[in-house]
Amino acid sequence: MSDIGPELPQDEALAAEHALGVLTAAERAAAELRMASDPAFAAKVEAWRERLASLAEEVEAVQPPAGLWPRIAGGLSVNDNQAVVRRRLRFWRGATVGSLALAAASLAMVAVLATRPPPIIVTPPPGPMMNARLMPTSGGRPMFLAAYDPQRKAVLVASLVPPGSDPTHSHELWLIPADGKPRSLGLVEQGASKSMPISDRMAAMATEGASMAVSVEPMGGSQQDGPSGPVAAIGKLARI
Amino acid sequence: MAAISTHDPLADLLPRIASGDRAALQQLYQASSAKLFGVCLRILSNRDESEDVLQEVYLTIWRRADRFDAGRASVMTWMSTIARNRAIDRLRARGPLAYAQPVDEMEIEDTAPRAEALLEAAQDGAALHRCLAELDERTAKVIRIAFFEGVTYEALAQRLDTPLGTVKSWIRRGLLKLKGCLER
Repeated sequence: MSDIGPELPQDEALAAEHALGVLTAAERAAAELRMASDPAFAAKVEAWRERLASLAEEVEAVQPPAGLWPRIAGGLSVNDNQAVVRRRLRFWRGATVGSLALAAASLAMVAVLATRPPPIIVTPPPGPMMNARLMPTSGGRPMFLAAYDPQRKAVLVASLVPPGSDPTHSHELWLIPADGKPRSLGLVEQGASKSMPISDRMAAMATEGASMAVSVEPMGGSQQDGPSGPVAAIGKLARI
Repeated sequence: MAAISTHDPLADLLPRIASGDRAALQQLYQASSAKLFGVCLRILSNRDESEDVLQEVYLTIWRRADRFDAGRASVMTWMSTIARNRAIDRLRARGPLAYAQPVDEMEIEDTAPRAEALLEAAQDGAALHRCLAELDERTAKVIRIAFFEGVTYEALAQRLDTPLGTVKSWIRRGLLKLKGCLER
């Protein structure tokens, strides 16, 4: 009978349950966070995933329809940062090659522009509302939800981590714009939601496709310029 | 574990995918899509939804290839975890009706592996299957349901009309026995 006999030690049980998928959404988020800050626990979860993955081997392989790969291939460019960077590089290289011709053209342009009255500087209208679902790095359900409200120049963030599940760390929210350098937006208490006003400079960086991430930090947040602890969850800003 | 000692042929593709090599992703797709499509179909029992999920899975792999850590998991495990999580997310998005299955339905033999699929299974899979067979039938069934349907303890307890503590205890003891058996 399975009703008698020893049970797994607490940590091991939690790791196995997380790998199996029987935890609630909140417990799952807590386990993902713990994986980010506790490598021994993360290794236990991975070992259980590896053990249980063989269950998937029982499933018969089924050839997906031939049209699926083109659909995936078509979706790659919009999801790929590196491709965007390369495309920009190619553009600039191309621009350098053609720059002699351009220089001649732009001299003519300067002459035209110089005769015009100076343009009136208009404040650009605020951009669209955007949100980001911050997913744990190993997949699963979101751990944080963030939204950027350009009207109020504020980031709204909700932590889906159960309160008190990691009392020895702080969770710090970061905005990672196109230059790849994380800027701190502040600390997010576990299980809480709040609105964080951001500076004009930061607001300009909160564009579609910019990443938001949460790192696990010592109490009070990172002491350095950038995250000092592991990234628990990450997501991209997208129009709502 | 023994599985770590053999070289994983798919592991070489991931750094290339991380650097934006589409041909490498296509190679990975050719080697793994049938398996992952099978996993999605097993969880969702719906072709259209499984195709959507499979597409998401490969886009996730494309974006997250740099996070793959060969020291921690095999490529196949990493990918099937992503496929399973995505398919279960989709299943949950269908709403509570997805869980409103009568208890009788659990008795269908669909959860048992097909013979030919088992023959194809790698040695690891065969070992897990042998170990599952060592568990009592009820525990093995509950573990399979949890794995393929992403049901929480609470939902399992409700479905089985059994106290939560009892279901937890079945699964935890079952997992402990599995671990012991796999390490033998």
